[in-house]
Amino acid sequence: MRIGREGLRERRAARAGRVLVTGGAGFLGSHFAVALMRAGHPVTLLARSSKDLSARDRVARIAGWFGLDGEARRRLAVAEGDILDPGWGAGAGGGDLADVDEIVHCASSTSFAERRRPEVEAANIEGLGRVLDFAARGRCSVLHHVSTAYVAGKRSGVCKEDWIEGGEFTNVYEETKARGEILARDACREEGIRLNVYRPTIVYGDSRTGRTLRFNALYHPVKAAVRLRDIYLADIRERGGAKAAELGIRLAEGGRLVMPLRIAVGREGGLNLVPVDHCVDAFMALFEESLDGGIYHIANPGTTGIGDLVGYARRYFGLEGIETCGTEDFGARPKNALEALYEAYLDAYRPYMQDPRVFDGANAAPVLRKRGLACPAFDEAMFARCMAYAVETDWGSRLPA
Amino acid sequence: MPKIDHEALSTAARCRHYAMCKIDYLGTGLCPSGPEKHFVTFYPQGRMDLYRGLAEGRIPVTAALAEAADTCDLCGRCDLQCHFVTGMQPTSVMRALKDLVEAHRRAGGEVLSPAEDEGLRKMRGIVGRDGASNDPAVLWTYADDPFPLAGPRMPRYVALPRSRDEVSALVRLAGALGLPFAVRGNGGSVFGFVFTDGIVLDMGRMRGIAFDPENWCVAVEPGVTSFELQQEAFRRGLRVNAAEPAATVCGNIVCTGTFSTWSNVYGTAADSFVDMEFVGLDGSVFRLNDKRAPNHFAFEHKVVPSPGICTKAYVRLHPKTDDEEGLLVPFEGLDEAVRFARELAQRRLGLAVGVLGTHYIATFLSPDEGLAAKLKEALPQALGIDYAVFAVADRFARDAIGKMAPAVIDASLLRLLMLGLPRLVEPSWLDLIREFEGRERPWELLCRADMRPVVEAALRPSPETVSESVPEALRPFYRELYARPEMTDMVWLNMHRIVSARMSRRKHMFAFLVYVPPDKPLVIREVLDGFARVAEANGIDHDFGFLTPMDLGRRAILEYDYYVDHTDPAEREKIARALPEIEPWLDGLAARVPGVLSLKYVFSQGCSRKENFLYRV
Repeated sequence: MRIGREGLRERRAARAGRVLVTGGAGFLGSHFAVALMRAGHPVTLLARSSKDLSARDRVARIAGWFGLDGEARRRLAVAEGDILDPGWGAGAGGGDLADVDEIVHCASSTSFAERRRPEVEAANIEGLGRVLDFAARGRCSVLHHVSTAYVAGKRSGVCKEDWIEGGEFTNVYEETKARGEILARDACREEGIRLNVYRPTIVYGDSRTGRTLRFNALYHPVKAAVRLRDIYLADIRERGGAKAAELGIRLAEGGRLVMPLRIAVGREGGLNLVPVDHCVDAFMALFEESLDGGIYHIANPGTTGIGDLVGYARRYFGLEGIETCGTEDFGARPKNALEALYEAYLDAYRPYMQDPRVFDGANAAPVLRKRGLACPAFDEAMFARCMAYAVETDWGSRLPA
Repeated sequence: MPKIDHEALSTAARCRHYAMCKIDYLGTGLCPSGPEKHFVTFYPQGRMDLYRGLAEGRIPVTAALAEAADTCDLCGRCDLQCHFVTGMQPTSVMRALKDLVEAHRRAGGEVLSPAEDEGLRKMRGIVGRDGASNDPAVLWTYADDPFPLAGPRMPRYVALPRSRDEVSALVRLAGALGLPFAVRGNGGSVFGFVFTDGIVLDMGRMRGIAFDPENWCVAVEPGVTSFELQQEAFRRGLRVNAAEPAATVCGNIVCTGTFSTWSNVYGTAADSFVDMEFVGLDGSVFRLNDKRAPNHFAFEHKVVPSPGICTKAYVRLHPKTDDEEGLLVPFEGLDEAVRFARELAQRRLGLAVGVLGTHYIATFLSPDEGLAAKLKEALPQALGIDYAVFAVADRFARDAIGKMAPAVIDASLLRLLMLGLPRLVEPSWLDLIREFEGRERPWELLCRADMRPVVEAALRPSPETVSESVPEALRPFYRELYARPEMTDMVWLNMHRIVSARMSRRKHMFAFLVYVPPDKPLVIREVLDGFARVAEANGIDHDFGFLTPMDLGRRAILEYDYYVDHTDPAEREKIARALPEIEPWLDGLAARVPGVLSLKYVFSQGCSRKENFLYRV
């Protein structure tokens, strides 16, 4: 190992090691980085510039969103770069990146679509390879690899915190994240770099405030329903509702929209949802406690059924007519245009909506128990908090890019 | 000098000389003084130049200038015509010109009337008193173009011949006077060929069109524009292979040989005509089909002078069927799109075929520059469309294309998208599509027939919706315009090419055209990369234009465009630096790869057989 257990403990205690966070302007990357800085660690964020903003300006805006105080900000350095850039690994190593002791690798593509395989592989395999090369060349002694619980692939029942080698996957995201873990394991073994692998399930907003920087996963299908609601409300209110009437959409008493939309649901499982604050707390606990390395699920012991979610959405957004039904019943009647659209929309999420996988927490649980950390349940109040923030920020369009 | 309206001057300086104000392409009628006087001076384009010339002190107030100002009644037609393609509204310039002339008169300023010299007297003897001028204001409107690499070049006379014999007489007179001459059709000259310090022959009075359906051709005089000819052919259930709408048919054939997306089936160069009549450089008359005539069907790989002045072209007529419709097949990559277009050509599927990039698609479809910019961004980012193959096809070909392509934007969806464009680019709607993670690509979802009710509800397609994107004062006109079926009919639009004139809306466009072998994707990539490299090195805006297969997909014509603000000296310098870099690189590529040829070498050889320049044996 490049660093001994005690040496690592002492360096951590002295807050003497600099941590590079890749994907530092992303959802988990920014949350982890802020938590590390607040805990006193010097952090370098690797971030890309956007069309209108430099990486530094993007990070400044995100720091503002977190309300990062001056003291914590003094521990922050920004390195502009992109692991998708073939030259990044070779060029990096100087300047802000010269003194990296640990890496938290969050940069990743979370796209599920097979048609996006090239870009997903570019981020999750080739980009990771550049980070591993960079780690090998420098003085990095610990790699914190942020993966996903869904590397488990197509299986039912208990999924352990073990290496996944081979098997079938639901989509390119799962497959590349699983391949990435093995790449990271082999490279770290060869270089004597300690490796922690973090495997969260579906991460949503803050359980206490509903705040979040990203509105994907849980939010996507809800947002789609709300956008459709708005389209037909406008049709009814501004143009007499001819298009709405074609699909049997109408206004009910109290201004609620009746939008006939059946969602086919199988019998198994539900969504495994983890709020970002718990994900961050769990990550920090494991970061600090797991010095020898390991694989850790960050999951919810319970799941949320689609029927429950639909009910929450119906009540919160004033939507009538949306209902779940069994797949056989769904096929018995022809689909209307909304159902066809929604079915296509949910296609990618379906494996996670009725997830038969149960994520074992044998490795993570003792650490989380020790810290008194338990994943909050996702209930209607939680849904309302998260959606209130989504609406307040227009699903993120008013947030820092 | 009375006060200059700098906003009007800026508008005047940005006139692209596209001459769209010289054709009645929107059914608004023309500026009345133009067809009466014939000199470009009396069209809005000419008045834009007059204001610029006057404001910059390049021309005095003359009798013709005052008449041009006085004959404008501020009817506003030019606002409608010009806005449709450039986004500009020239009426403010017309008003400023009238104000300037009026102020000059009030101040007792001189109105110059140049004396008739011997040359002009003889010229008027040929073309009539109103058919020739040496008035500096008239000359000024024939002295300059947006071509940014040359300054104004004032001719000594402008003459408007009415017949072949008058053309012949003018050519002989030019010889006798020892003066060079240049022939002017319409629009702007990309490379400055239409300027001279001698006599400009404006062919605007030779506007004869005579259909000969038995021989599937139409005799066209040199003042006839592509739009006018296509309009007449369309009325008769026929079609011609036409160029840019304001370009003259004869001038276009002679200059480069007409090419368009229809060249896929109608070919180019000598494919476009049955015969042509010329007045030679010595004033003699000949026809190309005459065995004793010079052989202009042959091609020489060098820049050569034109055969003379075309006074009549017997343009080929093509039949059309009543089930033709336009469609778009989206693609994520250029290679796939080119492969598909080539396959259509090889399989003889479709009539007009072309690969378009997002810049062209967005610009063609959007009546406003801001909307075009949003659409250009939305197409790849939200819809996943980077390229599209455009095709006009009958119902049999459409069936086949539907089986070959993963999804097709058919005519009805295209109409819906055009009329709902401002909604299509709204972030809330784009969000819905962008985040689609399913197996299908977002555009495939959009194309699904079962999605149509939702798409219609979201986009609210109507003339009212699409008109929201233009300035409020123009909305009533646009609402009426887009209520006309042809304005969303891709067959009509593509035949008459009125939306492709929008390409210069943002900046003056330099179009580079190269014949390429479409079966060699690496060569196409090399051509595109080469243009992009030179543009980037010189800080020039640039984009892929289009690619159309020809000759059953054995060859294709490719356009790459540079965009330059011709009123900005810094931009002019950029293009001046870039152009000399392109020629040797492209010549080298052409020497190395059979099938690559810069259109530059076809200039003035547009009457040649295409086989003589597409293939080298």
